[in-house]
Amino acid sequence: MPLLINRAVVDDSWLLVDEDNLTAHINEDIVVPYELFAQHLEQLVNAEGKLGVRINGDQALELLLQHLDALSLVAIEFPAFTDGRGFSFARMLRRAGFAGQIRAEGDVTRDRLDHMQRCGFDAFAIPDERYSDAILSAFDEVPVHYQGSADDERPIFRQ
Amino acid sequence: MYQYNEQDQTLINARVEQYRDQTRRFLAGEIPDEEFRGLRLMNGLYIQRQAPMLRIAVPYGLMNSVQVRKLADITRKYDKNYAHFTTRTNVQLNWPKLEEVPDILAELAEVQMHAIQTSGNCLRNTTTDHFAGIIPDEIEDPRPWCEIIRQWTTLHPEFAYLPRKFKIAVTGGPEDRAASQVHDIGLHMVKNAAGEVGFEVLVGGGLGRTPVIGKLIREFLPKRDLLTYLEAILRVYNLNGRRDNKYKARIKILVNALGIEEFSKRVEAEWEIIRSTELALTDDYIAKIQGYFEPHPYAADAVDGLSVLENQLDDNAEFRAWYERNTREHKIAGYRAVVISLKPHLKPPGDITDVQLDAVADLADTFNFGEIRSTHDQNLVFAHVAAGDLYTLWQSLRDLNLARANVGTLTDMIVCPGYDFCSLANAHTLGVAEQINEKFDDLDYLYDIGDIKLNMSGCINACAHHHVAHIGILGVDKGGEDYYQITLGGSSREDASLGKIIGKSVPQADVADTVEKILQVYVESRLEDERFIETVRRIGVAPFKERVYATVN
Ligand code: HEM
Ligand code: SF4
Repeated sequence: MPLLINRAVVDDSWLLVDEDNLTAHINEDIVVPYELFAQHLEQLVNAEGKLGVRINGDQALELLLQHLDALSLVAIEFPAFTDGRGFSFARMLRRAGFAGQIRAEGDVTRDRLDHMQRCGFDAFAIPDERYSDAILSAFDEVPVHYQGSADDERPIFRQ
Repeated sequence: MYQYNEQDQTLINARVEQYRDQTRRFLAGEIPDEEFRGLRLMNGLYIQRQAPMLRIAVPYGLMNSVQVRKLADITRKYDKNYAHFTTRTNVQLNWPKLEEVPDILAELAEVQMHAIQTSGNCLRNTTTDHFAGIIPDEIEDPRPWCEIIRQWTTLHPEFAYLPRKFKIAVTGGPEDRAASQVHDIGLHMVKNAAGEVGFEVLVGGGLGRTPVIGKLIREFLPKRDLLTYLEAILRVYNLNGRRDNKYKARIKILVNALGIEEFSKRVEAEWEIIRSTELALTDDYIAKIQGYFEPHPYAADAVDGLSVLENQLDDNAEFRAWYERNTREHKIAGYRAVVISLKPHLKPPGDITDVQLDAVADLADTFNFGEIRSTHDQNLVFAHVAAGDLYTLWQSLRDLNLARANVGTLTDMIVCPGYDFCSLANAHTLGVAEQINEKFDDLDYLYDIGDIKLNMSGCINACAHHHVAHIGILGVDKGGEDYYQITLGGSSREDASLGKIIGKSVPQADVADTVEKILQVYVESRLEDERFIETVRRIGVAPFKERVYATVN
């Protein structure tokens, strides 16, 4: 699954852990599912490595917002491309000052990348069968924005 | 009216090319059907029973003659020489080819038009009063606010994949011709105790399967806070609206589930955070947009036409009938607003041919400062016609079959395309509209019945707003046959209410006869000067029900 960061394919240096191998990797750079994060909160925020959490629209962003200082990555899942909740999650994370990686995962394909980036995503995990290098032209197809976005909060009337 | 600047034009052109590329990739098999469906809907393209259907946006129902000529041209070049105006003041083409849609969009872009967000689960075209800017008791012209909302909604990156579609309507004063109470958000310009003008905000209205009247969420919203407050509502909805069942996905269901207090608490909490951000409107921007809606250069001597008009009215009863039904007062003395009826005898309501479109554009240039408006009732409006020009305009419209003097009467129906065009339909609507037209062709009878609103939808999606019509007709399918359920007492106006079902549905052949029985009860029961809706409200539906379902022996 190609991972796109800053419009280039990069290797994923993060390790996704589950219940079983959490203890073994707790001091490495890991991404934990939201449930595990909630369960082992204390332990995780005090561990050595960098911490990422994977969340979806049914889960409470609030909990992440309370521990932003401990997080270096938030992976937001799109169970279907039509599930727009992730766009708001990214926006809310950025406005809370989160400067780490916000990664889009799941049904993440070309025609939503630009909106995602504008909402604050900077990493995109794209399914193999939907990836081609042409995908890089998905960004900035429309160069004028009426609304502010994560990299420039000014709407058109303040630009 | 608003004129695109370089940025607006760049955006619209880029959007056309983006959609052109999406179409190309779809045809090349690079985008799965389901995904392309989402993309094409966001650009107004449905796939219908016989062909695709393209919905073109008419932001808040305002067009100029250049745009209308372009529409005429497009129907000639890419369609079958006619277009259809909808209840949300947009235009639909029933026969475009999927491959040609990018070219149609490119032509529209030349005249500052587009099909952005005319369908799909996103922020739709904002609608308003078709008499905006000309009515005496208006608090403020709502159109600049519609334009501000248009810009904010256009390609909004966060709200392109909402749980369901989202529609906003704005009114400029106490009268409501925009059905604002059955919109996801209704905004009413109001004055507070301190004399400041702002918005009263309603939320959670909508029709379809579960008709709901919008609820008051804020009595007074200062102008500068308009977009931050809308964004707060949208964010709460985007995060909490149901996504598991599309029939329960509209904001009305969320508001009902949480209760308006809880919903409002969440909106206020979000608003607190964003109220003072860059999204707060600036006085400069408001003034700049308002500058596009300055009054037209009205002629000071237009009042001189009034005496001529008096004579013409006295001399010609047909002209007088049209004047009385199809025109209304304008705040500038010597001017009137004219409603161009798109409900001629035995033609589908809201349809207009290329020839008529061209002629309307020419007439607008001659008599109406080049401006044309489309209305919630599927008609057109020339809002500023000098008294002395009315007679000539009427003659021209009559020759075009656009002067049927039936505005506000029974045959001024809102009707969706129904089974003839729509793949979601349960029943035909156009044939039934024809049946009603045939039965009630006598203008004197229609005038005696007076103001009445009849709307007909071909299925529960309620595209023709049947729930909020005085007489609502809903097509249902009974064992493969078309039947029609009838509701009475609905209203989409400032006194909004939902109609009540009078009983079991009636077969297609009986619809007009049933309407006739309903009207008989009205005629027998009405008090002096009482309009149909008032009689229904006073006596209830029981007497109507009794008459309609009385057994004949
Ligand atoms: C022929 C193709 C059409 C299709 C497939 C279509 C489809 C739909 C659907 C599925 C809904 C319900 C959405 C929901 O409740 O969430 C809807 C609502 C609506 N449609 Fe259409 N429609 C069509 C044509 C029209 C036309 C011609 C008009 C205007 C006369 C119209 C005006 C509306 C309006 C005003 C609503 C909103 C009702 C509400 O508030 O729930 N549509 N349409
Ligand atoms: S009400 Fe039903 S039949 Fe009529 S246009 Fe809408 S979806 Fe089609």
